[in-house]
Amino acid sequence: MGILFTKMFSSLFGNKEARILVLGLDNAGKTTILYRLQMGEVVSTIPTIGFNVETVQYSNIKFQVWDLGGQTSIRPYWRCYFPNTQAIIYVVDSSDTDRLVIAKEEFHAILEEEELKGAVVLIFANKQDLPGALDDAAITEALELHKIKNRQWSIFKTSAIKGEGLFEGLDWLSNTLKSGGG
Amino acid sequence: MFSLFYGLWKYMFSKTEFHVLILGIDKAGKTTLLEKLKSVYSNLEGLPPDRIVPTVGLNIGRIEVSNTKLVFWDLGGQPGLRLIWEKYYEEAHAVVYVIDATCPSRFEDSKSALEKVLRHEDLQGAPLLILANKQDLNDAVSSEELARYLDLKKLDERVYMFEAVSAYDGMGIKESVEWLVEVMERSKRTETLRARAGGPASA
Repeated sequence: MGILFTKMFSSLFGNKEARILVLGLDNAGKTTILYRLQMGEVVSTIPTIGFNVETVQYSNIKFQVWDLGGQTSIRPYWRCYFPNTQAIIYVVDSSDTDRLVIAKEEFHAILEEEELKGAVVLIFANKQDLPGALDDAAITEALELHKIKNRQWSIFKTSAIKGEGLFEGLDWLSNTLKSGGG
Repeated sequence: MFSLFYGLWKYMFSKTEFHVLILGIDKAGKTTLLEKLKSVYSNLEGLPPDRIVPTVGLNIGRIEVSNTKLVFWDLGGQPGLRLIWEKYYEEAHAVVYVIDATCPSRFEDSKSALEKVLRHEDLQGAPLLILANKQDLNDAVSSEELARYLDLKKLDERVYMFEAVSAYDGMGIKESVEWLVEVMERSKRTETLRARAGGPASA
């Protein structure tokens, strides 16, 4: 998959620095996804302000991961990571139905951010391998994706553990960014 | 004085942004149409048809035609995904309904999905453009034949048109867009939407 990834995303942004944020509640499977894509070493950093950001640098694209939810006092610092963001990959644990409401609220809150207005949104309905996981239509409903009207979005059923659906999602993402983005 | 008002009116008008929904069942060619629109009307290249994957979400195309901005919303057409169509109705100025004209076995499915769209009150008065798509293929039926087949009732108060197009080679695309712009500019629904948005018409 590493090679396919190279094919898809190299030359996409030219020499421009680009950023893709991988966000979601804790335990959604974000880091597993990054490892699955085998793009490079995941570097974990805990800035002094106190939230944990994982970064994978892939040629000129930075993938950055952190958990949404929890402490509100550190949220203003998230903004340091917003400039030049082309896409947001939002990862949801489709089997964690109790926390879907929180996942929804956090998601829409982040979309409100001025600096993220132009970013396209890819949603991974993750953990499809688990019993009781909701499908893409149900997650669409739960996250109220229909409220997004000013940018492109797409949802994919994934299992990061099995490596399923990730590639299809990234394929959509690279096509969308190629054809002019949000 | 007149020219001042005219200028103001023109200024306001040039700001108008129309939202057009592209609907239809899966494999009708909605995204191919969107990409064609992008490549015909903007500098963007648009994805070649062989790169297009089934839509599970929302694709957006923004184009400009003679001072009018059009925003196309292309929504996925698979049965499970049709549920979200109606969430976009309220803000839509018009609907483009795409049908694969080479696939009579699915006309019934297309027809019932379309009838459901037209029954929805949030789309009241929205102009409707029905596209008999895939005319580049030999076995495509004409727009007249498709119209006869669909035999849509209760269309009388709605402005509508059937058009034979090929999203693949571009046939009929310009005619379609010209028609859309023209009917949206003078449709009552446009006025209603503008007033609701607190736009110039209500000021």
